Amino acid sequence: MTAFLKSKGIFGGMTLAVAAILVLLPLLLPSATLASEILIFAMAALACNLLLGYGGLLSFGQGLFFGAGSYLASLAMIHGGFGLIPALLAAAVAGAVLATCVGWLSIRRAGIYFVMLTLAFSQMGYFLAYTLSKWTGGDNGLLDVPRPDLSLFGIRIADLSSAGAYYTLVAVLFFAVFVGARRVIDSPFGSTLVAIRENETRAAAIGFDTRHFKMLAFTLSGAVTALAGALYAMLINYVPLDNIAMSMSENIVIMTIIGGTGSLLGSLLGAGALVTLGDILSAMWPRWQMLLGLALILIVMFLRGGLWGGVEHALDRFLKIREKGNAP
Amino acid sequence: MTDGYILETQALALAYGGFRAVDGVDLKVREGTIHSVIGPNGAGKTSLFHCLTGGRRPTEGSILFAGEDITRRPAHRRIGIGMARSFQVTSLFQNLSVRENLRLAAQGRDGDRALTFWRSVAEGKAHLALADEVMERLNLTARAGVAAGDLSHGQQRVLEVGMALCGRPKMLLLDEPTSGMGIDDIPVMTGLISELGRDHTVMLIEHNMGIVMSISHTITVMSRGQILVEGKPDEVCADARVRAAYLGEAA
Ligand SMILES: Nc1ncnc2c1ncn2[C@@H]1O[C@H](COP(=O)(O)OP(=O)(O)OP(=O)(O)O)[C@@H](O)[C@H]1O
Ligand SMILES: [Mg+2]
Repeated sequence: MTAFLKSKGIFGGMTLAVAAILVLLPLLLPSATLASEILIFAMAALACNLLLGYGGLLSFGQGLFFGAGSYLASLAMIHGGFGLIPALLAAAVAGAVLATCVGWLSIRRAGIYFVMLTLAFSQMGYFLAYTLSKWTGGDNGLLDVPRPDLSLFGIRIADLSSAGAYYTLVAVLFFAVFVGARRVIDSPFGSTLVAIRENETRAAAIGFDTRHFKMLAFTLSGAVTALAGALYAMLINYVPLDNIAMSMSENIVIMTIIGGTGSLLGSLLGAGALVTLGDILSAMWPRWQMLLGLALILIVMFLRGGLWGGVEHALDRFLKIREKGNAP
Repeated sequence: MTDGYILETQALALAYGGFRAVDGVDLKVREGTIHSVIGPNGAGKTSLFHCLTGGRRPTEGSILFAGEDITRRPAHRRIGIGMARSFQVTSLFQNLSVRENLRLAAQGRDGDRALTFWRSVAEGKAHLALADEVMERLNLTARAGVAAGDLSHGQQRVLEVGMALCGRPKMLLLDEPTSGMGIDDIPVMTGLISELGRDHTVMLIEHNMGIVMSISHTITVMSRGQILVEGKPDEVCADARVRAAYLGEAA
């Protein structure tokens, strides 16, 4: 089973498992909206994982990219008359450009200074959004974000106003991002990124300009995160200021770590666990985020591979026991 | 290329703060030779290597490689012109397999072309082939799938040299390849280096006199950041200043 999940082909193994999850998710959860929310955050966590799990780069700028995607897509639809696909594309491109700039400046420093720089950019973005309240709605958020029909070259393909129809769009995009991410990780670029995480001095000594690789990791991560932000705005028809706040960066990083860095399925698991828990618990207890802190502490202390690491370990064990049982 | 010299330095100096670890070194390395650098601990041998390979920027002087001034060229841009190094303190991708270590080193020669993110590494057949070839040469094929960190120390030292080899260099700079190796493993390394000397220029830092004397064409003796003596093995061996430098440090 785990061997199956580890199989290399980008359409085999893990990808099939994800396809199954995407089909089952709205059936198992109380609402398709919740399922969409999970996939949107899973996308953001996946993008964070590329930086953190594969590149070893802890970025607190993820909320900035997410928020920027939300605002840009919404404003483009409200004021620019953009359709769904152009708005999503614009958000992804803007996220890529923004993340490249943030990355380019931040990777000039290493370790803790790098983290502080990403944090500083994120804070700047927040105050900028707060200040430009004429455009962003400031504290009140940007209201009445539309969810246009899905259309291509002026031909209307689908009405997305129902939660189920929108989920289908989100699921298809998530699937594309997931397959793409698998390819990226298995590419010369992805393998070099891991090498840089493992030993930057050696990576430079064998010929890699490590800055270029880190920057491209930011570019790709920014594009996907902003896409997630745009999808989120259309999901809730609204852009709260929180989308670009520190807490968004935090949540994305926490989902990534809880799910397990270095595994793409982990990001889906982490986002699923947090969004679902939040949905259930926030109705019962407004201070539920205290539990989040506790969960993070437990996972960091006892489950270094995150939730996915735990699942993998349990599966391996289970299979070993069964093999023993089957042996003559 | 000038007079068969592949590498030349002029008045090269590297200071750490106020301390001059390399202090005015004029060095010439003839193409196709094994050129060893010896000297007591702290003589500045590794610091000299850092300058030559771009790990650190010299504070003064210049470096010519194949006639080209490379003084200010960063480390990652020296692979492409044919320089590759190994480290005194083993510096591998510890959690990656032996084969992946070597494949990455082969891919490093591509520089920014490795930014390709839409293709599988499996399509990089040339890199895999080179990795396998080097692995065979290092006698590590049986351990292809083992994480580099799980190899024996001796095998890690051999892999360290292999990483440099995968850059398909004209010149190899090996910093104490035998450091920390057991007496049983040393002949393997000696054999490997002299074999590499047949189709590469090799610059070798080494403390083991047996190796140095048996395989070097030229030996440079460093002391306190400067060149003390340079010559053929027997000349260096007979030089009173060299003995004094070694004995002086030991005393
Ligand atoms: N990063 C550094 N900062 C300050 N001083 C340093 C640094 N690296 C080395 N030195 C000093 O520079 C001198 C030369 O060191 P280097 O490592 O080049 O010597 P070496 O000849 O390679 O010695 P060994 O045979 O022990 O490897 C030593 O006195 C060392 O303490
Ligand atoms: Mg040294």
